[in-house]
Amino acid sequence: MSDDEVTLTIDGKSVTVPKGTKVVDAARRVNVDIPIFCYHEKIGPLGCCRMCLVEVEKIPKLMTACTLDATADMVVKTTTDKVEKAQRGVLELTLLNHPLDCPVCDKGGECPLQDNTFKHGPPDTRMEFHRHNDTKAAPLSPVITIDRERCIACQRCTAYSERIEQDSALVMLNRGFHNAVGTFNGEPYDTRFSGNVIDICPVGALTNTDFRFKARTWDLTNTATLCAHCGCNCNITMATRLNELMRIEARPNDAVDDGWICDKARWGHHFVHSKNKISAPRENNSLRENNAAGAKTVSLPTFPDNCTTENAARKIAEAFKKIVAEHGAQSIGFIGSPYGTNEENYLYQKLFRHGFGSNNIDHKPYHDTPGLPVNHYGFEQIETSNVVLLIASDPTEELPILDLRIKKAVTTRATRLVILNDQKIALDRYSSQSAQYKVGYDAAAIDAVTANLARELGESVPVDDANATGISAQDIKSLVETVRTSMKICVVYNPSALSKAAVAGVKRLLKMIAKIPTIECGAMPAAPMTNAVGAMDMGLLPDFYPGGVAMSEQEEIKKQWGENAPTAIGLSALEMIARAKTGQLKALLVHRANPVLDFPGGSQVADALRKLDLFVAHDMLETETTKLAHLVLPSNGPGYDEGTTTNIGGRVQARKKALATTRAPDWKIISLMLNALGDETDYRKVSDVTEEIARRVPGYQGISKKSVSKTGCDRDRVVSADEPVSDTPIQATKKDGGLRLRVATLLFAHDKILDASSKLAHHFQPSTAHLNEEDAQRLGVRDGDAIVLSAASVNVEAVAKVDNRCQSGGVVVPRVSDEQGANGLIDADGGAAWVKVSKV
Amino acid sequence: MTQILFKNINTADLHTMKVYEAQGGYRSLKKAFAMQPEEIVAAVKTSGLRGRGGAGFPTGLKWSFLAKDVFPRYLCCNADESEPGTCKDRELLLKNPHLLIEGMILCAYACRIETGYIYLRGEFHDLSVIMEQAIADAYAKGYLGENIFGGGFNFDLHTHLGAGAYICGEESALLNSLEGERGEPRMKPPFPAVEGLYAQPTIVNNVETLCVVPYIVNEGAEKYASIGTKKSAGTKLVSVSGHVKKPANYEVVLGTPVREIIYDLAGGIRDDNKLKAFIPGGSSVPMLPADQVDVLYDYESLAAAGTMLGSGAMIVIDDSVNIVETTLRLISFYMRESCGKCTPCREGTRWLYQIVEQIMQNAGQLEHIEKMEDICDTMATNTFCPLADACVSPVVSSIKYFRADYEKYFTNVSTSLA
Repeated sequence: MSDDEVTLTIDGKSVTVPKGTKVVDAARRVNVDIPIFCYHEKIGPLGCCRMCLVEVEKIPKLMTACTLDATADMVVKTTTDKVEKAQRGVLELTLLNHPLDCPVCDKGGECPLQDNTFKHGPPDTRMEFHRHNDTKAAPLSPVITIDRERCIACQRCTAYSERIEQDSALVMLNRGFHNAVGTFNGEPYDTRFSGNVIDICPVGALTNTDFRFKARTWDLTNTATLCAHCGCNCNITMATRLNELMRIEARPNDAVDDGWICDKARWGHHFVHSKNKISAPRENNSLRENNAAGAKTVSLPTFPDNCTTENAARKIAEAFKKIVAEHGAQSIGFIGSPYGTNEENYLYQKLFRHGFGSNNIDHKPYHDTPGLPVNHYGFEQIETSNVVLLIASDPTEELPILDLRIKKAVTTRATRLVILNDQKIALDRYSSQSAQYKVGYDAAAIDAVTANLARELGESVPVDDANATGISAQDIKSLVETVRTSMKICVVYNPSALSKAAVAGVKRLLKMIAKIPTIECGAMPAAPMTNAVGAMDMGLLPDFYPGGVAMSEQEEIKKQWGENAPTAIGLSALEMIARAKTGQLKALLVHRANPVLDFPGGSQVADALRKLDLFVAHDMLETETTKLAHLVLPSNGPGYDEGTTTNIGGRVQARKKALATTRAPDWKIISLMLNALGDETDYRKVSDVTEEIARRVPGYQGISKKSVSKTGCDRDRVVSADEPVSDTPIQATKKDGGLRLRVATLLFAHDKILDASSKLAHHFQPSTAHLNEEDAQRLGVRDGDAIVLSAASVNVEAVAKVDNRCQSGGVVVPRVSDEQGANGLIDADGGAAWVKVSKV
Repeated sequence: MTQILFKNINTADLHTMKVYEAQGGYRSLKKAFAMQPEEIVAAVKTSGLRGRGGAGFPTGLKWSFLAKDVFPRYLCCNADESEPGTCKDRELLLKNPHLLIEGMILCAYACRIETGYIYLRGEFHDLSVIMEQAIADAYAKGYLGENIFGGGFNFDLHTHLGAGAYICGEESALLNSLEGERGEPRMKPPFPAVEGLYAQPTIVNNVETLCVVPYIVNEGAEKYASIGTKKSAGTKLVSVSGHVKKPANYEVVLGTPVREIIYDLAGGIRDDNKLKAFIPGGSSVPMLPADQVDVLYDYESLAAAGTMLGSGAMIVIDDSVNIVETTLRLISFYMRESCGKCTPCREGTRWLYQIVEQIMQNAGQLEHIEKMEDICDTMATNTFCPLADACVSPVVSSIKYFRADYEKYFTNVSTSLA
């Protein structure tokens, strides 16, 4: 036992716990169940419900076990007559005015009030007056309904709002018997994390409007799976009934979500039953005719009526093989998905490398490389780091659960948050320093930090004048000082919001920090997509094999993947699009991606894809891209699929199947394509693929069906290849008055995923362009003006918001919807995007 | 009788700086500033002064509990005076505001505090005007502000008006209210001396308590300790209300018999009725029947009698009253003032009210008394703060001493159950 621990006795059982542990939690460790309503281990003590009264030796009155710190040699008794009488009494008072409408209550069957009454309560009530009547169903927000009669005013939800969300949107109103959960001025309680109050409500007061009265909880089939929206991969429980998804709840995992999920995770699931779901293989006849007219060289395979997905897959594999035979492996390409599972991604890269001999494999329109030169930190490391450096990342919109974890670290662990970004973000108010570089100056700003740090370390490097980046030399200095004097630092960067040079710069910065012997340094590549880390680990890259094995490591590649394994660096996603445009790329397979909308270039991407001889889309929903595909394969997607994903913290977890389908799973389709090409591996179940990943992908040796079940398992560090240093000329403001564009991520964007989840429509926002005062004045634009942003032939309408979200010379446009088409403003080569702003 | 706080309370214009100084006001400061702060804390300890707000906690001890070497610290004067029956602080604030300021300066110096707040209940708006004027005058004279008397000691004083909630007289709820939060009590520990206002070490003292400090500094701790009884040093302001001929605030030496307070100072029972009961320390302490009128008015004697000295509000009830009515009135107060934070208080006060109301409508039954006692047993000491105990006090004590008054309402039931 260390000095930080105490040993106490609870109901005769000895237990040793860390100092500061509450008696109620200590009791749980020795299986002593002290009843609670208001206490929640993640929210902390409140002392409101008085349910957890226990007897403590040497203290005359009963104590609440949830507010009492365990101390050495304390003797606690939880089942004495005195305790049981008090608990019975408190429970009688708790139930006094609670309506006994359990038969129609959503909480019925999983209700702590029912359970505690069963265990500790009186069998009847002595209440002889009419129970208090109050509002039965009032909308607290479009997705939460409050039943005021059922509320026992435990204040768990308001404490959650104050301590976890930290915006006190939900508060107690009024006083005494009339106190009530509510919001200022009756405004909707529509925060990003509001739904968690439904999970933590110990009665049926806060109910899920979407689920209300839909099913009895004991009729639900619960599946422990993962959220498939952002890169956090929060643990969730999908509840289904008669093969219909009924609701999603948080499934606490300290290593990832700390017990919370965002509202997108909870309510953004209606796409699984969307009418836009692709359910069968399909050929696009009109495109076929165009193809014939264009006299293209490939004859497209045909899918007869009722063609099974398996047959379609084989035909597609053969068609690609034919093109490779005619035009070489360089003429085909694959754009995979940062949303796919590791198994799907692994098999697809295997198909293209092993089956077709091509390295034209990618999954993203931005640049990043697998692995890190430092430790890969997970969510829990955020709490133990004393400095978190956030680069180009906006967790509030991109990775909401990371936002909660950072807030927790800053407010309860004395972690200091330092921000380097080109836009103001919500977390700025938690930061000890927020340095803002001009849009487009990301690489220069990061390099300035690295150079200053190098000089602090005694290396003689030329330090450029950082002023051009928009950050003063003093600010850079103080940022560097915070980094240099940290003991444990976690660098969180969003590669998808950084230029290629800047991503390389981040890795150089990490190496520089790692040189300081007193600092423990780790990083988190925080792209907002579900499985961006896994996609890189699985080698969905033109220049790396799975596990971060670079093309230059030819021996290693040949050993693992055979003598014929291609080792020439392939084309990136954007290069593939460019080659398609010139006709050099003949065939392309796109899995779970929508380049027409998500890639820079917009209509240019569509034009390029139209030129392909063979274009196959493998997706779960109809998109702008699937419309252009000659052949479409159905992808099952979240809810139906299974496999593993790797989150931004490097944790590999299991996504499980909650809904049954007759469609073949994606991994099966890909494995059939592999088989059609002569690969004899017989993958019978998805874990066969997982096992192969564990065998063949560096970093994944410890991954197995067993090790990832329940709470997942951290993969080993994937070692980073050296980044070439590239000169990055700083680009000045364009002479014609154009502004540098930054497309920002919005959590609740009206995209195809959320389109079917109309419950979240209240979060959708109009197209907005955030301008700096200086530019606005020069352009004669005022707050609220309707403006048009234009680049090349693309126009995007927006409402101007003059709020200095970025420095002058830039404009921030949050991606609010698919319809808005903000990415179309960016050049097809993915480089700097300049837009002209004009008033309508 | 020894008068300390009320010695010159009726001097004309005592609330003005000129008169207050002429009466010897603020002279303790010079003496205090020549002492080490710790010496003043020690003196207050020696004096035996106990908190006059209700709990009677030794003041010097409270001051010595401040977290060591943590600054800034705050001083909050609890001028919420919300205990029914209590109006002693009101008289001090109204007539002698500078005495409080002087006491607060001494406390601040002794505890190395540079900022003080006077938390006045919302209904004290008129007093806040007087207090503000007194503070302005004290600034003008250099008693408040920076570098007082050139000794390098700074002290700023502010007033703050609450919104009129009983619970805000509880020190941690007061701090919440002062911070702009909901007026609900805080979890203890940490106690205010460790983490109080803005999570900094804080002293919260009642008006009367702070007003005693100048006397201790001027006249010496021993002199104060020699007044009253061994465990209850000094004098106490008693607000006598109810069925007496001369309801008013009286300053009595602790240890004076209650009989003397009711019959000599307050002139006896109105209309020469008979005394039925008295509540010695404000509405939240148990009542005592007339036969205990010879109990001594000090902390230990009242505790031995099963009640408390509390805030020093003596509510006198004559025999024209059915105690059940009194009890319903008191429960109704606590029901309305319950903050609602914890279940037994929120639900229990209302249930008790409903039951007593039912009894008074002649719809009660004998077992209701048993039920009420059981509810009180669940509420007492099991709640977050003592408000529920305050509600339980009149219920339990009225059943204990005046069961017959309840039985009068049980028309259908034999009253022989005893």
